[in-house]
Amino acid sequence: MSKPTVGIFGLTGCAGDQLAIINCEDELLDLVNLLDIRDFVMAASEGDHTCQLDIAFVEGAVLSKHDEEYLKKIRARAKTLVAIGTCAVWGGVAAMDGGRGRDEMLNEVYGPAGARYDSTPARALGEVVKVDLKISGCPIEKDQFLGAVANLLNGDAPLLAGYAVCAECKMRENNCLLVENHQVCCGPLTVAGCGARCPGLGIACVGCRGPAADANFPSAMEMFAAKGIGADRITAKLKTFANAAGGGQ
Amino acid sequence: MSTTIRVEHLARVEGHGGITVEMDGGAVTAVRFDLFEGARLLESLIRGRSYEDVAQIVSRICAICSAAHSLTSIKATEAAFGIEVSPQTHLLRDLLYRGENIESHALHLFCLAAPDYLGYPSATALAADHPDAVKTGLRLKKLGNLIQETIGGRAIHPVNVVPGGFGKLPSADELRALRAGLLHGVEDCKATLDLLSGLPPADFCHSPTVFAGLDMKGDYGYYAGDEIVVKANGRQRRVRAADYRSLTNETPVPHAHAKHSSFDGKPFMVGALARLTVNALPDDAAASAMRRLGLRLPSGNPMDNNMAQAVELIYDVGRALAIVDKLLAEGLNEAPRVPVKPKAGAATAVTEAPRGLLFHSYAYDADGRIVSADVITPTAINAASIEDHFRHAVEQSADKSVPALTRKLEMIARAYDPCISCSVHLIQKRGSA
Repeated sequence: MSKPTVGIFGLTGCAGDQLAIINCEDELLDLVNLLDIRDFVMAASEGDHTCQLDIAFVEGAVLSKHDEEYLKKIRARAKTLVAIGTCAVWGGVAAMDGGRGRDEMLNEVYGPAGARYDSTPARALGEVVKVDLKISGCPIEKDQFLGAVANLLNGDAPLLAGYAVCAECKMRENNCLLVENHQVCCGPLTVAGCGARCPGLGIACVGCRGPAADANFPSAMEMFAAKGIGADRITAKLKTFANAAGGGQ
Repeated sequence: MSTTIRVEHLARVEGHGGITVEMDGGAVTAVRFDLFEGARLLESLIRGRSYEDVAQIVSRICAICSAAHSLTSIKATEAAFGIEVSPQTHLLRDLLYRGENIESHALHLFCLAAPDYLGYPSATALAADHPDAVKTGLRLKKLGNLIQETIGGRAIHPVNVVPGGFGKLPSADELRALRAGLLHGVEDCKATLDLLSGLPPADFCHSPTVFAGLDMKGDYGYYAGDEIVVKANGRQRRVRAADYRSLTNETPVPHAHAKHSSFDGKPFMVGALARLTVNALPDDAAASAMRRLGLRLPSGNPMDNNMAQAVELIYDVGRALAIVDKLLAEGLNEAPRVPVKPKAGAATAVTEAPRGLLFHSYAYDADGRIVSADVITPTAINAASIEDHFRHAVEQSADKSVPALTRKLEMIARAYDPCISCSVHLIQKRGSA
């Protein structure tokens, strides 16, 4: 089998998902042997920026017309487009509701010059183009990325958890921060894959991976209410990283 | 005859930037370091947010500098509330900062900059001919990440750092595993020194440079301190963090989501080279590494920032080992964190991120909610200095062909290790004032 051609791209964001890939220090040289990485501007010059691609990994949110055009070009080149990271899957922190219009916020940060910037409200990739696979996380977990690559190499569809961080937290036998400490923990509603890293450290889940498809929202809301945590508080917290999820998706 | 040199999307840097230099005959008529990262408006979006959420959100300004952003944010928040953390917390934060510096410098030196010196497009291409060199770099990079995972809970966007201290302290077993990694790292640093001292020289751009760095008060570290030293031509000025605006006196430029900083009308450079220039050398091993790398201070050659990063990398691995030994010998006896009680207040914190001075300035209301926030990043500060060095490089080049100049300009930009995700945030509200 010939090596699949691959591109790794970043729209507007922190570059954390590309860095998570580069952080696969033990696997990086093997990855290069298994994949024909043609276009990865963050890591290599002299890339091919127009070739057809079997797989395109794209991180970041669409935050400008430039981002939108760039993403559409990537889509046209790629057989399989994989959104990597919470920004690409859900819009991420840039999609947070600031309670004010974008023009007002641009003026706050940049002054009158802000009105001239190429700046559009944050959108997840799926709001602009068709996305074939979504790997969330802020940043993505190495294991999920490497597992997805292995699946794609074998022609399989990667299987990602639909259950919540809560399940992983219980497997680790952590004390429950919500039940025992009354903390606003997003674990019951956030998609698993991180191994319940934060609750394991005694820090309540902030929901950085976005919502879990299998989560039982009504039941979780009842549980929060019983702890005196209103729907507005938990919703505000969830919307920090996944505003689109709270917007009725 | 006019010529334009244009790099549309600079590779092997973090974020989206480009280079434009226009020449008429031999004279440079325009230089631009273009930053076209989209505006994320995080300073505006955190308005009204609780102090408990702020570090988690602003860490997302940049992945490579995420520990620096988290810790600088927390330093500002604690100062605004008048909170004193334990000496143990200071030591662990110092260690975490070194972990990020090791990871960031190893990534930059081996994966982004070294291919330039040896004529390769990437670290993976370099690995085909020099596998041991790249593997050494990747091991050091991984070691930096191991420190960040052990202390910060995650290599990117640390989750274990909170106002007041830490969620959980590392176990003795975790510290012992870290120690084993650091001992190996000391050996890898020797190999690094052999490798880098053997690189072909990159000596094609010289200009008198103004440097600015945190005053480390004789103890070479990146987190403590609140005074900045600016050094130029033997002259020196000190600026308190609270007066940072007098230093980052920015002017808007049309081609970037960033304003340019200057000192007495001259751009200044921040980062590893500036830190070594304004602070006493940390120890004899660092001095010896400097000699082997041919680094002489002060240097007007921006490429020397790469060598300065190598000196810090070597120093930080040794220093991190000493800290871990101390923690293992004395134990972690303090509580993970002190209680945090918010109050109305404002504060500015400054630290040395891997790429240079980083400022977070916040005002809080009585409930601990952000009233206003301002973040100034090193790449934003460096943008004007990068353009200054672009100009000198073109003027000083005997070969004015486009490929030769393009290569030199790209190497200079990369030597600064620009972090463009960060830099767009330095723009701040002032225009309406």
